[in-house]
Amino acid sequence: FSTLVQSVAGKSSLEKSDLEPALKALKDGLMAKNVAEEIAEKLCESVAASLVGKKLGSFTRITSTVRSAMEEALLRILTPKRSVDILRDVQVAKEQGRPFVIVFVGVNGVGKSTNLAKVAYWLQQHGVSVMMAACDTFRSGAVEQLRTHARRLQISVFERGYEKDPAVVAKEAIREAARMKQDVVLVDTAGRMQDNEPLMRALSKLINVNEPDLVLFVGEALVGNDGVDQLMKFNQALADMSTNSTERLIDGILLTKFDTIDDKVGAALSMVYISGAPVVFVGCGQTYTDLKRLNVKSIIKTLLD
Amino acid sequence: MVLAELGGRISRALQQMSNATVIDEDVLKECLNEISRALFSADVQFKMVQNMQANIKKIVNLEELAAGHNKRRIIQEAVFNELCNMLDPGKPAFVPKKGKPNVIMFVGLQGSGKTTTCTKYAYYYQKKGWKPALVCADTFRAGAFDQLKQNATKAKIPFYGSYTETDPVKIAQEGVDTFKKESCDLIIVDTSGRHKQEAALFEEMRQVAEVTKPDLVIFVMDSSIGQAAFDQAQAFKQSAAVGAVIVTKMDGHAKGGGALSAVAATKSPIIFLGTGEHMDEFEVFEVKPFVSRLLGRGDWSGFVDK
Ligand SMILES: Nc1nc2c(ncn2[C@@H]2O[C@H](COP(=O)(O)OP(=O)(O)OP(=O)(O)O)[C@@H](O)[C@H]2O)c(=O)[nH]1
Ligand SMILES: Nc1nc2c(ncn2[C@@H]2O[C@H](COP(=O)(O)OP(=O)(O)OP(=O)(O)O)[C@@H](O)[C@H]2O)c(=O)[nH]1
Ligand SMILES: [Mg+2]
Ligand SMILES: [Mg+2]
Repeated sequence: FSTLVQSVAGKSSLEKSDLEPALKALKDGLMAKNVAEEIAEKLCESVAASLVGKKLGSFTRITSTVRSAMEEALLRILTPKRSVDILRDVQVAKEQGRPFVIVFVGVNGVGKSTNLAKVAYWLQQHGVSVMMAACDTFRSGAVEQLRTHARRLQISVFERGYEKDPAVVAKEAIREAARMKQDVVLVDTAGRMQDNEPLMRALSKLINVNEPDLVLFVGEALVGNDGVDQLMKFNQALADMSTNSTERLIDGILLTKFDTIDDKVGAALSMVYISGAPVVFVGCGQTYTDLKRLNVKSIIKTLLD
Repeated sequence: MVLAELGGRISRALQQMSNATVIDEDVLKECLNEISRALFSADVQFKMVQNMQANIKKIVNLEELAAGHNKRRIIQEAVFNELCNMLDPGKPAFVPKKGKPNVIMFVGLQGSGKTTTCTKYAYYYQKKGWKPALVCADTFRAGAFDQLKQNATKAKIPFYGSYTETDPVKIAQEGVDTFKKESCDLIIVDTSGRHKQEAALFEEMRQVAEVTKPDLVIFVMDSSIGQAAFDQAQAFKQSAAVGAVIVTKMDGHAKGGGALSAVAATKSPIIFLGTGEHMDEFEVFEVKPFVSRLLGRGDWSGFVDK
């Protein structure tokens, strides 16, 4: 890039064409790290917009200017605007004399049930009492799966078998939890494709009827460009089909299978960018203790490496 | 079928190029960029897309093309060949043979759809008059045996598994032996989900393969997977003799480019697509007709029989 630096050094301000090679390299880098194409493109556009017309410091290279602008943009996106403090909110609900309800939603096989069990364990460790609600009444083995986790963790589980209306099962579970003075109800739901209208409708119903305190979208770090579509459509379905006065959206993201992707951490960025929801937990393994917080700094570093 | 969207976008890019009056460096570049964008947004591995772009550029040396040559045709043919190479590993997958016990082992990442697909595969062959059986060699995931058992019961397919035995290798061996004695001709072994970062899990997969001696190892891949697809698929190939790929959840919105990466990494063809959660939501996939269909429109037709 040495020729580039020279050609620009004398200019008064940066033009889009000056930035293009550096931006292209940056976009390629992001996509190779599994950032969705659309998101990588938008990010580069906004970085370009923030730099065009600016003066380049006499000894700065374009590449480093672009890079630090990108770093700033990433930090802004990944730093949550809404914060989710589950333990505090659980306490508040407890003072109001009702259980705190978390619903886990997402497409098929991403790790909803497993990470629900991890969250249960985490809550237990913080002295919070938990009840699981087996509201995946569709997929073979789903009820037994939850029952197994509940048994291992010695947690109560509310189940009504298969083929029941999950919205009703959830309702009964919450009532039972209130009766038993449990602090938290963790509601497992069946996986569903974001384009499957009847199933998305059923999910909205579950949420409208039960008004959970927290809707966690479970997405896997393995997902590529589809991750963006998943989040948009889950959010959209919740918003469109809401029957309550306040619009309901996804409150937070639980990013799973983080242990399977090496440095291809881009899905984290795509999901947060498109939804504006914070990553509340990161699943990084298949045992109960494999639940972590997102380290924004290290994500940014990996993305720009 | 969603991979076809990709075909459409590529065709359009080439069409646009054809509309240009002169094909110069810029027109070619724009066309290749658009094709690359289509491949990226379908999750084809980054390196594969770059290589493809480089290969095409190499073949289509604009300056050397004499004025008389049909540049468009040369470019289109180069794109077609590159795509074929990506999708078509060049050798067909093992096909179960009647009159002997065929052992088929399913492997893949966590949650990719192995257990569901095992039953679909068994059900598909059962309808064709085979005698399939299912072995649950997943002793790790909570509820795994119940899941397989409930699926098998629904499809009226015999199954083998255990609630107490914790060694998947032992169950796999016992299950396969049992069904061989019962003269089942298609014995399907379901295994736990695993990933390359955990060596012990890959070692377990090797051991299951060692005792069951599968005729075919099928790698099951979720169509929504992104850039990690290639490395994971390659690692599976290195630890197990993967011979075929099944891509699941094609009823979703994903464009399935990660699957192309898996084909490249395992050098194995896609044989079926999963298109829903139900037993019969399963489609045969044939590479050649697919590529032809993908690209066999308009200008492409001339290349299909090559
Ligand atoms: N490596 C790894 N595997 C995980 C993680 N979280 C879940 N899994 C595995 O992913 C697979 C699917 O997990 P489930 O919890 O059943 O997924 P689900 O979203 O509930 O699936 P459905 O209910 O069928 O839609 C299981 O094999 C889990 O052990 C994780 O953080 N890392
Ligand atoms: N929509 C849709 N869902 C599918 C398809 N194939 C599997 N699934 C769903 O994906 C989820 C995971 O499927 P499983 O068969 O449990 O996956 P697995 O690979 O056996 O998972 P592990 O054993 O935990 O590694 C379940 O909810 C299935 O119903 C498909 O083709 N379409
Ligand atoms: Mg589940
Ligand atoms: Mg399974």
